[in-house]
Amino acid sequence: MIEINGVSKSYNRATVKAVDNVSLTVNNGEIFGFLGPNGAGKTTLIKMITGILNADAGSIRINGYNISEDPISAKMQFGFVPDDPNIFARLSGIEYLNFIADIYQVPGSQRGSRIKQLLQRFDMLNAAGDRIQSYSHGMKQKIVVIGALLHDPPVWILDEPMTGLDPRSSFDLKEMMREHADAGKTVFFSTHVLDVAEKVCDRLAIINKGKVIFCGSMQEIRAHARENESLENLFLELTEDA
Amino acid sequence: MHRFGALLKILLINYFGISVRQLRDPVNRKEYLKKLGLGLIIVVALAPTIVLYTNILIKGYEVLAPLGQAGAILTLGMVLVSALVFFFGVFYVVSLFYFAADAESLLALPLRAWQVLGARFCLLLCYEYLTALPFLLPPLIVYGVKSGAGLSYWLMALLGFLVIPVLPLSLAAIPTTIVMRFANLSRRKDMFKIVGSIFVIALVIAYQFFFQNAAPQNMDPEFLQRLFTQRNGLMDQLSGVFPSTRYLGLALVDAGKLIGLLNLAIFMLVSFLGLILAWFVGEKFYYQGLMGSSETSARRKVLSHKDYQKLTNPSSALFAYMLKEIRLLLRTPTYFMNSVMTNLLAPLLILLPFYLQSRRGITMPWSNLMNTPQGQSTLLVAVVAIILFITGSNAMTATAISREGKEFYISRFIPLSYKQQISAKILSAYIFGVIGALMMIVASRILFPQSVLFMVLLLGVSLVAIIPILEAGLLIDILRPKLEWENEQQAFKQNLNVLFSLLFALIIAGVIVYMVITFFHSLLWAALFMLTFFTVLAALLYYLLMNWGITLYQELES
Ligand SMILES: Nc1ncnc2c1ncn2[C@@H]1O[C@H](COP(=O)(O)OP(=O)(O)OP(=O)(O)O)[C@@H](O)[C@H]1O
Ligand SMILES: [Mg+2]
Repeated sequence: MIEINGVSKSYNRATVKAVDNVSLTVNNGEIFGFLGPNGAGKTTLIKMITGILNADAGSIRINGYNISEDPISAKMQFGFVPDDPNIFARLSGIEYLNFIADIYQVPGSQRGSRIKQLLQRFDMLNAAGDRIQSYSHGMKQKIVVIGALLHDPPVWILDEPMTGLDPRSSFDLKEMMREHADAGKTVFFSTHVLDVAEKVCDRLAIINKGKVIFCGSMQEIRAHARENESLENLFLELTEDA
Repeated sequence: MHRFGALLKILLINYFGISVRQLRDPVNRKEYLKKLGLGLIIVVALAPTIVLYTNILIKGYEVLAPLGQAGAILTLGMVLVSALVFFFGVFYVVSLFYFAADAESLLALPLRAWQVLGARFCLLLCYEYLTALPFLLPPLIVYGVKSGAGLSYWLMALLGFLVIPVLPLSLAAIPTTIVMRFANLSRRKDMFKIVGSIFVIALVIAYQFFFQNAAPQNMDPEFLQRLFTQRNGLMDQLSGVFPSTRYLGLALVDAGKLIGLLNLAIFMLVSFLGLILAWFVGEKFYYQGLMGSSETSARRKVLSHKDYQKLTNPSSALFAYMLKEIRLLLRTPTYFMNSVMTNLLAPLLILLPFYLQSRRGITMPWSNLMNTPQGQSTLLVAVVAIILFITGSNAMTATAISREGKEFYISRFIPLSYKQQISAKILSAYIFGVIGALMMIVASRILFPQSVLFMVLLLGVSLVAIIPILEAGLLIDILRPKLEWENEQQAFKQNLNVLFSLLFALIIAGVIVYMVITFFHSLLWAALFMLTFFTVLAALLYYLLMNWGITLYQELES
């Protein structure tokens, strides 16, 4: 469960807020999609949830732990996939995964089998021993996803996880997200692809220019859009992106 | 030649950031003033050391002049500079010729290999002038002023200053270019290039070693007599390591005379030949060594069950973070060359000339002093000061955060407290620091045999002394990390934190040298003073780091 309360952020003390007074609650057992055009503030909000950025105002709790007051406990709760997979390129895939496993204290007894299972699922078994430097963009994305899922975190936070993945891996990831939510856990992911949101989300929020302009289920959004012209316009803009 | 000039200009602007057009822009001008101010601070901070060096040179001149050996102070400066230029040259050539971000992109331009190599060579030369300035200027001036030299001396000195780095730099470039050509054949290019450059340095050291062995070993009286009775005989001996410096030295001593001009001509010719040879070798080998140098090998092999067991061994989070730091340092050529290698080779670099001289049977003027209590405390503080210098200059902690660059976000979202991250960074750097200190201690032991007590005290003091330097470095990097860079080179070469860390080390070194020389004239007292001093400093900085530093770290956003 993620509780976001009145969170704002502006970069470099600028007057324009990248995220403007956002409040959201993501419940256990649901896949929550975070939708918006480029530059809407999705990545900024996700960076605040994960503690990469400090919020200017408001509070964020992950499974009850406040990210700024109890950062370590809060960070133990989630697995995170960033939008741009910049990871230690001079480590091999397996070294990176073991680093992550150590940091999250994945027990040694499960570690080997869990790593192997995830590598297999993403068809990365044969690349695990090579330097990440030698990976393609999609392979890097996959190793980051595997790292994020390694400690079986109750909350998944994914910033545009499908971009760069091939159809097979993308399908697998969606399936895993579903399984995860069905097991009573939380998935929070951002995208600007309406199609993806429509297929996998239980609920979603639409953000534009730092403000959440709608939050609800897919059906609610459709119903709402008919009455409200500007929302439909935004919708069009979003679908054009895809 | 036109293209060559254009390329050189671009490189100079790119690396030194100097261009007249930029100066006209007020925003840039402000940046320049800032840089200038920084430069001024650095000069002021270095001033005491330079004054000390100059004083020694003046004393040296006064002692040597009546013996007709005053030229030796010139040779001393020149040999020192040549050695520095050569050793740094190997690092610089590798990192600037082969690992710079723009290195491969130049392959696509319609330029000959020698032009590209030559332009980079000139760029390096400019760097080397900066290195040479503080070492060479004082002896040139002291000799010139003291001997009341005329205009021809000063002109020759200027010319000599400009040309002197050419030969050692060529000597560094030639074997490096050849070795890199062949290192590029291997699959693990990164590693082979590092190994290759170590190989080049080892080769030269070995050469020196055997070359020197051929020289008379014992101080037979006849040799000694010749040394001091022959005019400038000492100069001849000193220049053995870099023979070209001998001719410049002789030219300067006899500036204005025909023989002086002749020697100058020989010096210029030798330097020029070196340059031509270096560029010729570059034309032959440079491009083949460069092509595909950023490729890595991938085996795409499924790991065996045993591999998994070995590679997924659990350890503590702190240790995992340390291991990550160490692996990245060892595997990233730029970091390895700048940090790890400096750490390991600096002791050699500093002590080798002395060692070679002592093998040749020239007793150092201070060797008798060593057995007095004050001599021992002085030696102790000198070795500790050098260790501080090495630790400061390898900037392992002063770039610890900068090095993360775009990966910095990882440190922010993983559930490892900033306190532990800071500890892990200090600890991993400490491991390298200890290795560097041990190298230095062993090297000094070979050079100046001392009692077991001395060695134990030296080891004890050194192990504590490097801690505050590392702590200060990290604090500096937390204060002003350089996280936005495109290639690893920038995280180091264009990062002023490296300089700040070195400066801090120099200041601390200055303080302890001053304190020990003025107040602590026995080995035990000197060691006790330093232990206390460094412990207190380390504790103080630890407190700062763990309070103020962590607050700052929390506020860092990439
Ligand atoms: N490092 C930064 N410095 C200054 N402004 C930034 C920075 N990062 C983002 N911004 C600004 O903040 C706003 C929100 O950006 P953000 O990256 O959160 O958008 P996004 O919704 O993730 O977009 P996309 O779909 O392109 O990933 C944008 O206006 C952007 O220009
Ligand atoms: Mg984004």
